[in-house]
Amino acid sequence: MLLLSALISGLGLGSMYGLMALGFYITYAVSGTVNFAQGSSMMLGAVLCFAFAQTLGWPMPLAIVLALVLCAVYGLLVEFIAVRPFTNRGSNAWLMSTVALGIVLDNLVMHTFGKEPRSLPSPLVSAPMEIGGLGLGVYPLQLLIPLLGLALAAALHTIARRTRWGVALLAVVQNRDAARLMGIPITRAIAVAFALSTLFAGIAGVLIAPLFNVNSDMGTLFGLKAFAVAILGGITSAWGVMLAGLLFGIVEALITVTLGSGYTQIFTFALVIVVLALKPNGLFGRAEVKKV
Amino acid sequence: MNRLSIIAGLALATLGIVVALNVNSYYVFVLANIALIAIVGIGLNVLLGLTGQVSFGHIGFYAIGAYPVAILTTKAGWSFWAAWPAGALLAGLLGGLLALPALRVKGPYLAMITIAFSFIVQHSAVEMASLTGGQNGIMGIGAPSFGSAINTEQGIAMLAIVVTAVLLLAYALLARGTWGAAMRAVKDSEIAAESIGLSPLVVKTMAFAVSALLAGLAGGLFAPLSGFVTPDTFSFMQSILFVLVVIVGGAGSIAGPVIGAVIVGVLPEALASLEDFRLLFFGALLLLVLWIAPDGMMGVLTRQFGRLRGTKRTLVQPPSITTPTATNPIAARVRASLHVRNLGMTFGGVRAVNGLGFDVPVAAVTSLIGPNGAGKTTALNMLSGFYRPTTGTFALDGDELQATPAFRIARRGIARTYQTSQLFGSLSVEDNVALALNRGKLGSLLGSARYTAPFVRARSRQLLDFCGYRGALDTPAADLAHVDRRLVEIARALATDPDVLLLDEPAAGLSREDKERLAVLLRNIAHAGLSVVVVEHDMTLVMAISDQIVVLDAGQRLALGTPEEIQQNPAVRQAYLGETVATGTQARKPREQRVDTPTLLGIDDLVAGYGAEPVLHGISLQVKRGEIVALLGANGAGKSTLMRTLSGLHRSLSGGLHLDGHSLENKSAETIVGLGLVLVPEGRQVFSELSVLDNIRLGAFLHPEDIDNRVESMLVRFPRLRERLHQRAGLLSGGEQQMLAVARGLMSKPRILLLDEPSLGLAPKIIAELFAALDQLRQENMTILLVDQMAGLALALADRAYVIEGGRVVAQGTAADIAGNGELAKAYLGGH
Repeated sequence: MLLLSALISGLGLGSMYGLMALGFYITYAVSGTVNFAQGSSMMLGAVLCFAFAQTLGWPMPLAIVLALVLCAVYGLLVEFIAVRPFTNRGSNAWLMSTVALGIVLDNLVMHTFGKEPRSLPSPLVSAPMEIGGLGLGVYPLQLLIPLLGLALAAALHTIARRTRWGVALLAVVQNRDAARLMGIPITRAIAVAFALSTLFAGIAGVLIAPLFNVNSDMGTLFGLKAFAVAILGGITSAWGVMLAGLLFGIVEALITVTLGSGYTQIFTFALVIVVLALKPNGLFGRAEVKKV
Repeated sequence: MNRLSIIAGLALATLGIVVALNVNSYYVFVLANIALIAIVGIGLNVLLGLTGQVSFGHIGFYAIGAYPVAILTTKAGWSFWAAWPAGALLAGLLGGLLALPALRVKGPYLAMITIAFSFIVQHSAVEMASLTGGQNGIMGIGAPSFGSAINTEQGIAMLAIVVTAVLLLAYALLARGTWGAAMRAVKDSEIAAESIGLSPLVVKTMAFAVSALLAGLAGGLFAPLSGFVTPDTFSFMQSILFVLVVIVGGAGSIAGPVIGAVIVGVLPEALASLEDFRLLFFGALLLLVLWIAPDGMMGVLTRQFGRLRGTKRTLVQPPSITTPTATNPIAARVRASLHVRNLGMTFGGVRAVNGLGFDVPVAAVTSLIGPNGAGKTTALNMLSGFYRPTTGTFALDGDELQATPAFRIARRGIARTYQTSQLFGSLSVEDNVALALNRGKLGSLLGSARYTAPFVRARSRQLLDFCGYRGALDTPAADLAHVDRRLVEIARALATDPDVLLLDEPAAGLSREDKERLAVLLRNIAHAGLSVVVVEHDMTLVMAISDQIVVLDAGQRLALGTPEEIQQNPAVRQAYLGETVATGTQARKPREQRVDTPTLLGIDDLVAGYGAEPVLHGISLQVKRGEIVALLGANGAGKSTLMRTLSGLHRSLSGGLHLDGHSLENKSAETIVGLGLVLVPEGRQVFSELSVLDNIRLGAFLHPEDIDNRVESMLVRFPRLRERLHQRAGLLSGGEQQMLAVARGLMSKPRILLLDEPSLGLAPKIIAELFAALDQLRQENMTILLVDQMAGLALALADRAYVIEGGRVVAQGTAADIAGNGELAKAYLGGH
């Protein structure tokens, strides 16, 4: 039974990793860059939601929507100050500058929001559910999270295939120059990609806020793991990163159950190194043809 | 590193030691800490500054240096002096091991692996409690004794300062030696590094191991300095601080890490009351430095110094190739010959090269020619080891090399140059050649004999001289003009003393005079006994220098023979000029000449190019409304560059571009499409993962009105597309993709349609169908600017034509005039 509840919480965490990894995938595909401090974006979502709902006492739906909107705006900011200046001069310093911006955000939040961890109360985690008297001890939210994660991934898929801007983004992903020849404004497309990417991270933050402590460094490890997931999934395939997220979450939960939580980080990160040593393009990634 | 800076360094170190002896223990601790950070920084500088790789995980190696000292001195009774090197060596060893998987990947992947590693180390320290004391860590670490006069902290501070000074010196030696040059070479261009016999993996692994060793050294000093170690000390954030040290100080400069360490170590003390804001401050500082001073403090200092001294970068004279000298530095020896058999390469189902076979005679020039996309560069990439052939073999004197990595092939005796020259930009001209003389053998880590010895230098100069390079020898290669880049690249290839020299479009972008001198040089190289293989579009050059020509078409060998045989070969003439296909569509409805219609597209004295050297040298042409204008010329004449510049994908350097009164200069591609200039690009460029329908609809991105009817009209125009409407565009045949690309372009409501090589790589029957569709557009009075290698076909369709050669218009007139004009055949097949 422990195993089953571990699987459920693994699926939940995994779908959150997947969701954030999708964010990495989107910006990487469109622009070849990522916000390396995506964990901070996730934290921002959780902290803003907490601040609006608890500190200010606003209704939860409003708090969530506002937090997510601000997350998307933060994504535009990341692109504008930490990515664009460097890609414009052909430098890959965006790797370091996004990390730096993440540190700045984490510390700003620490000084305004406070250091002590708090948890966001939610009706979805008030009492564990009983499913068929099995004594699983699973909160409704833990079931909701993987469902919502997959629903969001599916929604993204549909939006990308069916809307004018969605198809335009896909076009940019596949062939930048050709997309420009269609009149698709690349700069705006990249900014939109970053907004989407932090929006996803924000959604993950809002969703897991009731299960974890909300504080300024809650996102660091989560963001790094999500990036590991993106890379394991091959970063060039949307379904690949989602699948890698679920796998990662389940493996992590199983390690925690069998070996204890202390070994989780050791084994999951070792796994990342081993997989990349064997498959440098990730589990589901395609090898790029070297341009000579 | 001159004498002055050594004295300055020694003085600084002495000052540090004096300070350590005279301040209270708190400041001694701060000072020692700065020295430790500097040591890690020097190591990271080897990785980041010299080799260009980022690690966000060096705190892991710091911890691996620290824990053995803590464990061995407290539990095994080792002395510090034995435990310290043991820990550092362990860190270096693990660094080398981690590098193997880590350095196969790049950028964010590498960052991830290093982060993962540091987390593993930190959490292992927590979990292996019996050894590491778990969360509580280890206390009472055995400190070395420095006698009774000075206490432990002072002793360690002095030791750390001395180590820093020694390591700075070692860094300076490394940076100016053979390995340092190899590291910079790998940073500048891994591809070029491989082609002079360097293994990027070995070089990067060495850099990684060295940086890990130094981090371990510092960690080993940290343990007794603080007296205890806990896992919390070795958090992810510390890794970021290490990177910050190098970036702030100036990556790649000798003193940079020390300056960075002082800033990172002292500032928090100066801002002691703002302790909590430390990380906020460092984050902002890192961002700021990256924005404003990417070269760090040292970069700022050197620039200021340069300004004070009034040094200005002198303008380099526009160079040209001088007539090669008679003295030949190429050793006389028997050289191996290359044999190619049934070579094939498939990319995702497409056969780029298929069943290619030929022998390369020694002491002769063999040219590989063919239309764009024929597979010439792919063949070259296989022969130099960058692509692994799907089928077939190639052998140098019986040794089969098809499964050999590029750097081994280079060591075995096949050297090459690149279409866009790949020099090591941060190395000087002479250094580029000197490094290549070693064929990948680098000697000892801090040594420089193989790189700086007088005979190495003398030979480098001889080779540069032989190739006709007359510029300054100490210019960084990145600052060279185009012609010089070519020459230095050839000299560097010759420096590996190869049996076979492969050159990819060596004449591209050269003036007629320079081409003639290049021809002499290539003949001289062949004379010296090498097999020279040239991929080249300039037919005049090819015909003049070649002993043998191999013609490729659609990945297969179309013909092989002497220049005379190739010029007379009907199959070659058809592939190049499209002569026989053209007759098929000759019978078309005539229409009256457009004399009075206004000019729609005007190009006035347009100059454009890549890097410093223009590809287009002042092109002027006009397209009138409703007219079809053909743009003809051999590959490499500048046609595609012109098309890309017109459509805004490429910036022009000077000159005027007008579309119906609107200026197009410096407008983005998106804006230009909006104005009605629509390019159907070379190679179709359909969105291969999207459906045919989505591709067509994307063409209407700026004009979504009435989209369904317009899509329908495209399907009427190209009935083949209707059958495939919901398939992925990537699954279409080449001809169908071309029709899709045209349909997509028409959806953008063009006022003028630019077609770049629509017939490229298509079967004759499909070409006829495609040109029938274009003829239909002509009947509808669409304005078209057409580039096509099938000159006959293009002329049959066009009202007027321009012939371009070497980036200049060499002939223009009505289509009939041009068709009867000798300039055309000359531009395509070389004039003789």
